Amino acid sequence: MPRLLATNAVLTTLVAITSATATFADIKLNGAGASFPAPLYRFWVSEYQKAHPNVKIDYQSIGSGGGIKGITDKTIDFGATDAPLNKKEIEGLGGADKIIQFPLIIGGVVPAYNLPGVDKDLNFSGEVLAKIFLGEIATWNDPEIVALNPEAKLPASPITPAWRSDGSGTTYVFSSYLATQYSAFESTVGTGKQIRFPLGQGGKGNEGVAAIIKQTPGSIGYIEHNFATANRISYGAVRNAAGNFIKATPANMSVAGEASADSLKGDVLAANIWNQPGAEVYPISAFSYIILYKDLGNLASIEEAKALTAFFRWALSAGQDRAGSMDYAPLSAGVRSRVEASLDRLTFKGASLK
Amino acid sequence: MSQAASHPDRGPAIPPGSPTAARRAKTGLGDLALGIMARFGAASIIFMLTALLFVLFTAALPSVRQFGANFFISTQWRVNTLEKPAIGPDGRVLKEDGETVMTTIPPAFGALPTIYGTAVTSFIALVVAVPLSFGAAIFIVRVAPRWKIAGPISFLIELLAAIPSIAYGLWGLYVLAPFLRDWVAPTLQKVLGDIPAFRWMFFETITIAGRLQERPIAFTGRDMLCGGLILAIMILPIITAVARDVLRAVPRAQIEGSLALGATWWQSCWGMLRYARAGLFGAVVLGLARAAGETMAITMVIGNNNQIAASPFAPAQTMASLLASEFREAAGLHRAALLEVALVLLIMSLIFNVVARWLFVGGQSRSAAAH
Repeated sequence: MPRLLATNAVLTTLVAITSATATFADIKLNGAGASFPAPLYRFWVSEYQKAHPNVKIDYQSIGSGGGIKGITDKTIDFGATDAPLNKKEIEGLGGADKIIQFPLIIGGVVPAYNLPGVDKDLNFSGEVLAKIFLGEIATWNDPEIVALNPEAKLPASPITPAWRSDGSGTTYVFSSYLATQYSAFESTVGTGKQIRFPLGQGGKGNEGVAAIIKQTPGSIGYIEHNFATANRISYGAVRNAAGNFIKATPANMSVAGEASADSLKGDVLAANIWNQPGAEVYPISAFSYIILYKDLGNLASIEEAKALTAFFRWALSAGQDRAGSMDYAPLSAGVRSRVEASLDRLTFKGASLK
Repeated sequence: MSQAASHPDRGPAIPPGSPTAARRAKTGLGDLALGIMARFGAASIIFMLTALLFVLFTAALPSVRQFGANFFISTQWRVNTLEKPAIGPDGRVLKEDGETVMTTIPPAFGALPTIYGTAVTSFIALVVAVPLSFGAAIFIVRVAPRWKIAGPISFLIELLAAIPSIAYGLWGLYVLAPFLRDWVAPTLQKVLGDIPAFRWMFFETITIAGRLQERPIAFTGRDMLCGGLILAIMILPIITAVARDVLRAVPRAQIEGSLALGATWWQSCWGMLRYARAGLFGAVVLGLARAAGETMAITMVIGNNNQIAASPFAPAQTMASLLASEFREAAGLHRAALLEVALVLLIMSLIFNVVARWLFVGGQSRSAAAH
């Protein structure tokens, strides 16, 4: 009997200790979605964890579609997408008043090419790029390309366009931009996350397109800017609305987002920031968004909801300063304050999280 | 459990009450357990296959209902919606209140380009692999035993099957594709390019700006030829292994008889091949099933362009590579269409395997019956 009592006491103490530590246990949050911002989000999570070791956030890069599906099914706490939600997706989430969508970072799409013998950066215009991908411009020494690059010695070799064979936000941004630049583009090929170009080769992911470009002399493709810089792939400058040829950098992509701050209204914030006016603006820039339910009641506790909101506030302030080191473009002050205003409206089962 | 009657699995009749019966009764529980496990194993495999077919069919139903039989003859694969200016009855763009009227063209899916890609790459693979495989099989069965290297050669060929398919894909992308692009294709173009009968090999017809235009094919190395060659290497082991077994089963009397009648070594080999033709055909069909289903290696070297082109130097898309490329982000009707392609692929593989088995087993029983 005493032995039983002793064992009982030991076990009860152990349970008490473990449950006591459980209240200080890790807050586990998970998100999923777009692959474009994945390296940055993971970097932010590891940086944030240095200051808040009990907050463990896991981000799965499964594509924008997967992120939207996950947040609709409530299997994840936050979703990330490159293309903003369309009407059907908003309805699936319960309506525009049940969610918030906000931009968290800016990225850009660059035209990368492989032209042996030409080591200068080439200039492109949206119309020329559209015609190249439609097949209307067939060789590198076409008069329209030569007109933009009078000093480059362009060969007579054929152009092989390289594009994304999988659904991707990069394709969405690039096709949407080209549709604003060349009227036939919209009706021939259309815009969207996955489109059918008339000729060329498809690759899976930014890596696939980059592999095609590196392997095929005379090819041109579109990839995310930070991917191009990280893998040292040469890319060209694009002519913006003001007529200047701009080569993508984080600074000139951030500027593209500035002008849209006034158009961000409500809580489902979305804006197309390609083809923006301004002398130093990079024309093929785009927001990457986060989707959250306005009432975070599906999370386990109010601590989790507060932790998630705190993480996004950190990402909007300190995180943005660190984004440049990874070649992502931070949001401008005007956009940040809009997003913060939306974050203030988050609740947990009715209780405000402010 | 009556042990009185004899049974193939349980041996001769055991009289009840004897020591043997007592011994057997003690292990009856073991018999029961193993019997249940064996039956459960077999049943679960059949269940998994049926469940797979059922799940694929249910998920593909929206696409089956929408496109019907047209799915297999349509060459369109458009995931996004197009907005085109509407053309009026007079052939000119319709305008209403000065604004152009737009028509919306919804997504449309058709599997013909992928079926074509699968067929052509598998055909190229068979054309390259079958002679090599049959040659290797004859070597192993007729020549190698003399030098005692049949075992090592068989082992080396089977080693090819152990290489992961992604390794084949990377090798194809970084080694074979540049070789085809820089050496094979230009050489063929130099030799055959001027002959009009081979024009289809070096030019493709594409719709550009609404009109069909003939363009010279820019060699990239990522095309149906590269895909077919990679597949050939991947199906070599299976065709060789099955052909070797089939040829080994040819009775010695047949070979010795042909030699006695004055056949040369080559003629007796040919006789062997003719004798075992059913089983060899089964080996080829098994290789075809393997080639049709290959995914990772093909996705990296096929070019991922969902089109039908005559030239082997043009990129294409196979059913498996289409699924690998597009499934991750697919939703709604697009996903149902992809699952319909998956269902077609699965049914095709099942049919190939059933046919191969029927040929293989039928060939063996026929040869057994004849002797």
